[in-house]
Amino acid sequence: MQRLIVEKTKSSPAIDFNPDTNILKVAGESYPENCTRFYLPIFEWIVEYLKGASDVEIILIFDLVYFNSSSSKVLLDIFDLLEEQESYKIIVNWIHDIEDGAMQEYGEEFKEDIKYIEFNIIAK
Amino acid sequence: MTGNNNSIIKKMEQIINSDIDLNTRKDDIKELFKEFKKANKKLNKILTIGDKIQRKDYDGLKIKLNEIRELNDEVERTQKEVLSTIGTIAEFRSNETGLHVQRVSWYAKILGKNYGLNEREVDLLFHAAPMHDIGKIAIPDAILNKPSKLSFEEFEIMKTHAKLGYEMINDSDRPLLVAASIIAHEHHENWDGSGYPRGLSGDNIHIYGRIIALVDVFDALGSDRCYKKAWDNDSIFNYIKKESGKHFEPKLVDIFFSNLDEIINVKNKLENRIK
Repeated sequence: MQRLIVEKTKSSPAIDFNPDTNILKVAGESYPENCTRFYLPIFEWIVEYLKGASDVEIILIFDLVYFNSSSSKVLLDIFDLLEEQESYKIIVNWIHDIEDGAMQEYGEEFKEDIKYIEFNIIAK
Repeated sequence: MTGNNNSIIKKMEQIINSDIDLNTRKDDIKELFKEFKKANKKLNKILTIGDKIQRKDYDGLKIKLNEIRELNDEVERTQKEVLSTIGTIAEFRSNETGLHVQRVSWYAKILGKNYGLNEREVDLLFHAAPMHDIGKIAIPDAILNKPSKLSFEEFEIMKTHAKLGYEMINDSDRPLLVAASIIAHEHHENWDGSGYPRGLSGDNIHIYGRIIALVDVFDALGSDRCYKKAWDNDSIFNYIKKESGKHFEPKLVDIFFSNLDEIINVKNKLENRIK
């Protein structure tokens, strides 16, 4: 499985999914013009990765400073997908700036529906 | 990606359009209903988060917009205050109190408004007016404050203050400074072309110059100066009437007399307290 690296742009976040360390990181701003087009290959990478990985701890880091509604749908899709996985320990670290109460609140919204994976909201 | 409403709709259509008795497909329908509820829940979640994002964005924008407005106001207020202060400094050199430039501003505002200038033009005129004699800071004291009549040569030097004032500020393209440079340059031009520095006449003199020409003379005649005592109002009014069409634009003279009460009111309010 190839490591997935996508450079950040003005409106899309940096992606660094490393299958060797099992750390998948999304960082920056997310309001791409075409959200589906931007996230589809990323989503597909996760699907493929989950097929290959087994009995490992996977850490997903979301360190976003801004995202739009379409991005929130993609995030919900990813969390749904992660919730369906039974054979891994999955940890989501939702990082927000200590001053950014709104970003913390969005994390709490997502966490509300999470049942099976560990969802941490971390101030930095 | 999962939870797509379109895929649910597609599956529902397939069931509805099939010839099979729906009773036999109860399990499929139940499954679809489950999917639909999940998708609906997700949609509501997206809306909740989307609304929160939107509210935060909008609140943030409003705050930023207000900050920009306040900053802009602050910049404008500072510019106006600086111009007024510089104009007052020039007045102080002529042993004036600074009230002359204030009165000139207010008189100019009255004439400008009644001449039909728009609000922005009147505002520029009002705040640039104190700069009309800024060129005088480059005139030697011996001439500026000479208690007797100036010689021909001295008067020629004194006249250069109009061009000097213009040259001091004409490099700027800021509207307030552009207005100030016009006023400094043209407030000694006469309607009939007999003024200085360029001998412009009629409409070739900017309206700001024509207005300041009248109100500056009106105020100067009514004030004590190092070389003369203040004239009484009647003498000043006679002079202004006599100079209509010569020194002053006739329309402005008419406006002046139509608004005399307001003008005298300003004069009384801003009378020199220090002689």
